[in-house]
Amino acid sequence: MEERQYDLIFICRPDTPEPEIDKVISTLEHTATEKGAKIEKTEKWGRKRMAYRVHRLREGFYVYLVIRSSHGEVVKELERRLKVSDVVIKYLTIRLDEELKRQEKLKRHRERRAARRPRKATPTAQVPSAAGGEQATAL
Amino acid sequence: MAEDNAPQHHAPASGSQHHGAGSGPPGSSGPRAQGGRPGGPAKRGKRNFIRKKKVCRFCVDKVDFIDYKKADVLSPFIQERGKILPRRMTGTCARHQRWLTVAIKRAQNIALLPFAAEL
Repeated sequence: MEERQYDLIFICRPDTPEPEIDKVISTLEHTATEKGAKIEKTEKWGRKRMAYRVHRLREGFYVYLVIRSSHGEVVKELERRLKVSDVVIKYLTIRLDEELKRQEKLKRHRERRAARRPRKATPTAQVPSAAGGEQATAL
Repeated sequence: MAEDNAPQHHAPASGSQHHGAGSGPPGSSGPRAQGGRPGGPAKRGKRNFIRKKKVCRFCVDKVDFIDYKKADVLSPFIQERGKILPRRMTGTCARHQRWLTVAIKRAQNIALLPFAAEL
């Protein structure tokens, strides 16, 4: 089975100390590896202003993870952990592999078309002159 | 540019032909059809403005994937109140608008963009 890619973002309370956040990340890594998934990237975006208030908080500490897994069970478990955790106020998991695949496809398509374009330019240049000729005869 | 000019020249010509053919009802329908053309507002008495053709910003930049994480890219496409702007306002093409709405909704869910204006 093909591998799936997920984006997992969670927001912690802004007043939590860094070690606590690191602990949350490490437990997530642990559960992920237990379930046969692998965390590709971990980014701490730091304290950011949220667009709206969550739990009466205006700011939050954003953490961004990229997870690769062959099945979706991992997400269930990770989300359960996040839900239970007190410091986490919001989380979101998005499956992205299909969109990235589409992006790759479009990119390849574009490159192929770019490579072909010089040959195609000459016939399009001839078309307007032919149309002009038709107009002249019509008039 | 040359292709743009050609139909504009044609449209008045066909209108004048209608005038010559029938001075009655068909003649009156001629100019109305001409005025309704979006391409040729040049000869319209009062409302004499030329609308600039809007181009999809994502097509210009050749974007294949709209990232929901980049709130600064998405924010021009929402209203102050948090509503997603329609295609007719922004000029985004259908395909990119489809991706854009998905990206905006994702960003809203993780509090990068607002659902509605704050009080």
